[in-house]
Amino acid sequence: MRHTTDTRRPVPWRSILFRGLLFSLIWWSLSNGVAASWWVGVPAVLLALISSLYLLPPMTMVWSAWLKFIPFFISRSLHGGIDVARRAFHPALPLAPDIINIPLRLRAGLARVFMINTINLLPGTLSVSIDQNQLRIHVLDRHQDFMSEILQVEEYVSRLFGIPLQTADQGE
Amino acid sequence: MLIELVSGLLILCGAVFFAAGTVGLLRFPDVYTRLHALTKADNLGLGMIVLGLMLQAESLAAASKLLLIWILVLLAGASVAQLIARSAFQKGIPPWKR
Repeated sequence: MRHTTDTRRPVPWRSILFRGLLFSLIWWSLSNGVAASWWVGVPAVLLALISSLYLLPPMTMVWSAWLKFIPFFISRSLHGGIDVARRAFHPALPLAPDIINIPLRLRAGLARVFMINTINLLPGTLSVSIDQNQLRIHVLDRHQDFMSEILQVEEYVSRLFGIPLQTADQGE
Repeated sequence: MLIELVSGLLILCGAVFFAAGTVGLLRFPDVYTRLHALTKADNLGLGMIVLGLMLQAESLAAASKLLLIWILVLLAGASVAQLIARSAFQKGIPPWKR
């Protein structure tokens, strides 16, 4: 744990409000908006809210960054699906796979998990493992420009969670 | 009428991507390349089918439920692919090379 924890933390009203609304929305969706279901829904939302505050400490998200990230993610995952479908249907099976190490500039935590999951859905990249600060990815085509895309994702994710990127440490 | 056409088209495209994911699973040479096919093509295929069904959903709640399903599958697919790739790598399975 690198972040310092105050003993007297202020009550995270913003997280409580946001998560409460989110969980209520999910319940409304699951129950098809049936009013009587809230007898079960309200306790369920409260329990989910309490456990979420324990499991995932309150954090700040940058909403304007999410608005930029979502179109990027949708267009790249569309591209990723088309790319892999083309390779699968192509008679010659055009693959040139390799495993590549990339130094990560994001610190360990939710942002990093989010980043490696995103990489899995982008064209031609699959995250394999993380050693120290080295991300190991599998690429479908080593001649593709996957490097700039990974760096771009890293920058997006750092803005989403409002976390500064660290300079890549020596290694490799 | 137009909505039904668009919806049908989206579902058809989704089915094509599902088929592509399966063809990739069968044709690709090793575990890593197969994971690429499954995560990317299937997620896109499901996304298109969900979008197509959302257009025909009876209520906003039903449409949002479909969206929720897609987001959960997206999360599960991406995480599970990474877990399988990691355990394959730790077992020393080498990536296929031409």
